[in-house]
Amino acid sequence: MKFSYNWLAEHIDGLTVPPAEIGKLITMKTAECEGVEAHGAHFDHVVIAKVLTAEPIPGTHLSVASVDTGRYGVKQVVCGAPNCRAGMLTAYVPPGQLGVTTAKLRGVDSEGMLASAKELGISAEDEGIIEFADGEPGAAIAGCTADTIVEIDNKSLTHRPDLWGHHGMAREVAAIAGRPLKPLGVELPAGDPAVEIEIRDAKLCPRFSALRFENVTVQASPLWLQQRLESVGLNPINNIVDVTNYLMAELAQPMHAYDAAKLQGGKIIVRVAEDGEQCPALNGQTYTLDSSHLVIADAGGPVGIAGVIGGGPSAISESTTTILLEAANFHAASIRKTSTKLKLRTDASMRFEKSQDPVNTVRALARAKGLLEQVSPGIRLVGGLADLYYPLPEVAPISFDLTWMRRKLGKPDLTAAEVTGILKSIAFGVTEVDGQFTVTVPSWRATKDVSLKDDLVEEVGRMIGYGNLTPVPPLVPSVVPPLPPERAYLRGLRQLLTAQGYTEVYNYSFVNEVQAAELGLPIEDHVRVVNPIAQGQELLRTSLLPNIKRNINDNAKEYESFRLFEIGKEIHARGRELPEEIPHLAAVSFEKHRDGVANLFELKRLAGTVVPGCTVEPVEARPFEHPFRSAQVILRNEAIGRLFEFHPSLVETGRAAVLDLDLTKVQALRPAAGKYKPLRRFPTSAFDLTVPTAERELAGTVLGFIREHSGPLTLDVRYLYDYTGDKGRSMTFRITLGAADRTLTGDEVTAIRSQLLAAVAAKYQ
Amino acid sequence: MIETQLSELAAATEARIAAVTTADELEAIRVEVLGRKGKLAEVSKDMGKLSPEQRGVVGKLLNAAKQTLENALTARKTGFDEAALAARLEREWVDLTAPAAGAGLGSLHPLTQIQAEIEDLFVSLGFTVLDGPEVETEFNNFDALNIPPDHPARDMQDTFWLSNGHLLRTHTSPVQVRGMKKLGPPLRMIAPGRVFRNEEVDASHEHTFYQLEGMMVDKDVSVAHLIYFMKTLLSAIFKRDVTVRLRPGYFPFVEPGFELDIQCLICGGTGCPVCKQSGWVELLPCGLVHPNVLRLGGIDPEVYSGFAFGLGMTRLVMMRYAIDDIRQLQGGDLRFLTQF
Repeated sequence: MKFSYNWLAEHIDGLTVPPAEIGKLITMKTAECEGVEAHGAHFDHVVIAKVLTAEPIPGTHLSVASVDTGRYGVKQVVCGAPNCRAGMLTAYVPPGQLGVTTAKLRGVDSEGMLASAKELGISAEDEGIIEFADGEPGAAIAGCTADTIVEIDNKSLTHRPDLWGHHGMAREVAAIAGRPLKPLGVELPAGDPAVEIEIRDAKLCPRFSALRFENVTVQASPLWLQQRLESVGLNPINNIVDVTNYLMAELAQPMHAYDAAKLQGGKIIVRVAEDGEQCPALNGQTYTLDSSHLVIADAGGPVGIAGVIGGGPSAISESTTTILLEAANFHAASIRKTSTKLKLRTDASMRFEKSQDPVNTVRALARAKGLLEQVSPGIRLVGGLADLYYPLPEVAPISFDLTWMRRKLGKPDLTAAEVTGILKSIAFGVTEVDGQFTVTVPSWRATKDVSLKDDLVEEVGRMIGYGNLTPVPPLVPSVVPPLPPERAYLRGLRQLLTAQGYTEVYNYSFVNEVQAAELGLPIEDHVRVVNPIAQGQELLRTSLLPNIKRNINDNAKEYESFRLFEIGKEIHARGRELPEEIPHLAAVSFEKHRDGVANLFELKRLAGTVVPGCTVEPVEARPFEHPFRSAQVILRNEAIGRLFEFHPSLVETGRAAVLDLDLTKVQALRPAAGKYKPLRRFPTSAFDLTVPTAERELAGTVLGFIREHSGPLTLDVRYLYDYTGDKGRSMTFRITLGAADRTLTGDEVTAIRSQLLAAVAAKYQ
Repeated sequence: MIETQLSELAAATEARIAAVTTADELEAIRVEVLGRKGKLAEVSKDMGKLSPEQRGVVGKLLNAAKQTLENALTARKTGFDEAALAARLEREWVDLTAPAAGAGLGSLHPLTQIQAEIEDLFVSLGFTVLDGPEVETEFNNFDALNIPPDHPARDMQDTFWLSNGHLLRTHTSPVQVRGMKKLGPPLRMIAPGRVFRNEEVDASHEHTFYQLEGMMVDKDVSVAHLIYFMKTLLSAIFKRDVTVRLRPGYFPFVEPGFELDIQCLICGGTGCPVCKQSGWVELLPCGLVHPNVLRLGGIDPEVYSGFAFGLGMTRLVMMRYAIDDIRQLQGGDLRFLTQF
């Protein structure tokens, strides 16, 4: 929201803070200022000038004018405007302003420029150079002044309905600067209500106020009004509409003017729309409404969408002679819902959704009457104020004591007088007895913003200035924080993976349907994003692998081989409950030119490193896995993940081995630290055993068989090597035997060996 | 007779020992002369035929010859051994500038690194570290934080809504609610994590980024405590003394709410392009926990108060490493990631 310094200053008695400093003051005490910029600095230099002569330059659309500029003397200016003619009064911009220079145009000397309203920054009018009805050459343009515009971040005004107008901001600036705020003239003459009002739901519309005027002249606003609107980003339209916009920008009260002649019946009805009801709006669109929308209606139907936009047919036009001027108050959430649903955010809806003050409607109408009398000479009020008002429940006075306020702020030397002074400066009512405060809230802060004593801590704190608080170390118990073990586990795991050469990637929690389909992950298993704004965000990942696959193919373009990992959450739908989020590790070893076996075994070793004691068992491959290179990882008889190679058809070039572990299971199944085992005191005996096997026999199976048949004195069975020769394949194992209480005799060892040989022979020969 | 024979043998053998060129030749001489069936052994066999007097003389001569030859052999053998070792070592020359086999050290993601660093700081100050889900209830993400439906503050955070009726958390603040319920007062907690905003992605905007929520609840926690704490913490994070300032900021779950700025670390406050000439850089939102939020967390606001803050970790990472494109952080490009 843009604020004009001049406008603010008009409301403050004796403001001396210079324009350059006001942004910083507002930032530190009230709301975030995003920028301060000069507006219309040229008005200090631009003068009214009389065109003495204007001769066309042959062969061009230009003319050369001799102008009496008063202050700057008689100047020769080349002008392209069709309306440039001798005798007219227009605006002269001297060289050095608005980028104007002294130049030769088409061989003719030109010093300065004759300007249009648009070039001057008064309005959008650029049909020709501006024309004045009267004025002395050399005089400044009446009503147009240099100004400073302060832009405040709208987000920081979300809670402050009053700061959506200059008057509210002026109150803040006055309090900060320690100057009084000037009172608003808000008297209205008494009279019979000029229109009948019916409000069907007082919650949605607590107040509707209106005035009727006749003998209206619709014309362009005076320049000062146009410039003011232009300076805060509002477009001047005509004098009537401009007055409503001016008051919206001044009092934060959106208003609407109807062409009274075009309203049907003698009554204004505020009601919810009927389903399917249509409302043609000011912006040329027709909106189809339903019962969640509030409308202003006459006998013929909706004439406006309440708090959002006025109707088209009853809009002010050049032929308008009587108007009905509305200032109403609407329920914030309802307006917000409507504007969101219709995708129509207007200056009005933006203000109403902040919970505007219903007291404001009559103030705005009173101000409007005065302004309309200025901009539409001869205008007359018909009757008196029409006003239907269902006051909101009052905010109870807020009580607190000084000690409490001191403790909240951490300012033990805060005095009751300081608190009282601050609160009164921003219009709170204050009673204080021995440090016990009772505070009443002004209506414009009571709609939502302030209702608790904590809200007053902010008011006092910001006005004191947080920089005036002395930082104090908190007194807290010295306790060892209860730290969740998974934090330490995950941190150790990451360290271990990087030590093994793996680099960490972060991927999005999103996958798209194509990615999921590519891996054969059922689309319907995914939690879906209802409102994605970009492609690739439609599903939440049920597996890290789709994005990991993308990492593989992306990095394969740059690297011959690489290792990477991600620790992230799989998100599994659980109906209407919150989904289950399972942390997973996905590690990849990629090699462009070899057969991929080494990568698989590297990851098998990694599995054994991160999950000591895990084993690997072949398993039926999933569609995205190499059908003959896929296994599950087992810990204490439970599957904790997969070890596989990506199906070569999914990897553009090269081989990608993957280890995917469920870290919840890994942590749950990790053995607890056990007791120490005394070291063996007696020597062990070992012998090697070679087992002839089928070509695709599994080493793990044979090893398990040996372990099972080698008796209780077996300490270790170790796979030594594998050999394939003329007689087929064989595997050699080393079996180590021993007892805790004695050295085994040669006979004992021989007996065990014979028994094992017999068992192996029976099975494998 | 035998003496002559012995001295000739000794002299001839000594000459041969001196002349050999290989260790094998030397070994052959040792076997031939000093071996169990060697020439000296033969001589000693003949000693039995001698008189005891002669035997004594010859015995001495024999031992002397044996000693001399053994010394000569050892000396040459040592020479050959040393030469052989030297030759072997020379053959074992290695080019150590060649690359090492196996995997080098991998890299941790810069966000992981900065998160660990900040977690450690907080833990040293007695904070516990909590985790929260990426998918949250609308209640925890908004309502419990004093942002009811149709509140305009919901506009501040463009939200991804989900088919199951829930949403992707737009901030780590819902963990405040979870933390209060889990820990009870007094408490000190942080919750780092991934958050989501439904925005278009470009070099400076991401739909997925990282925050760290912090909260301290105790009796009599004040704004002055908050300022002290943030100054201490930020000085530790930036590894130098920082100047902070608080100014009003609106966040519905705190009252009063602040924007915390630090004096620009680039220009020291005199104004530069980084701080847009203001001398200050907006760093984090914070405030005293709103009584409604405490109440929803099961804590009595008449007894306890607290402060809360949200640190943008993605922003910190980008500041620390001067990263100018936020998309790199989740792009999975190893050329980027291996730099950290």
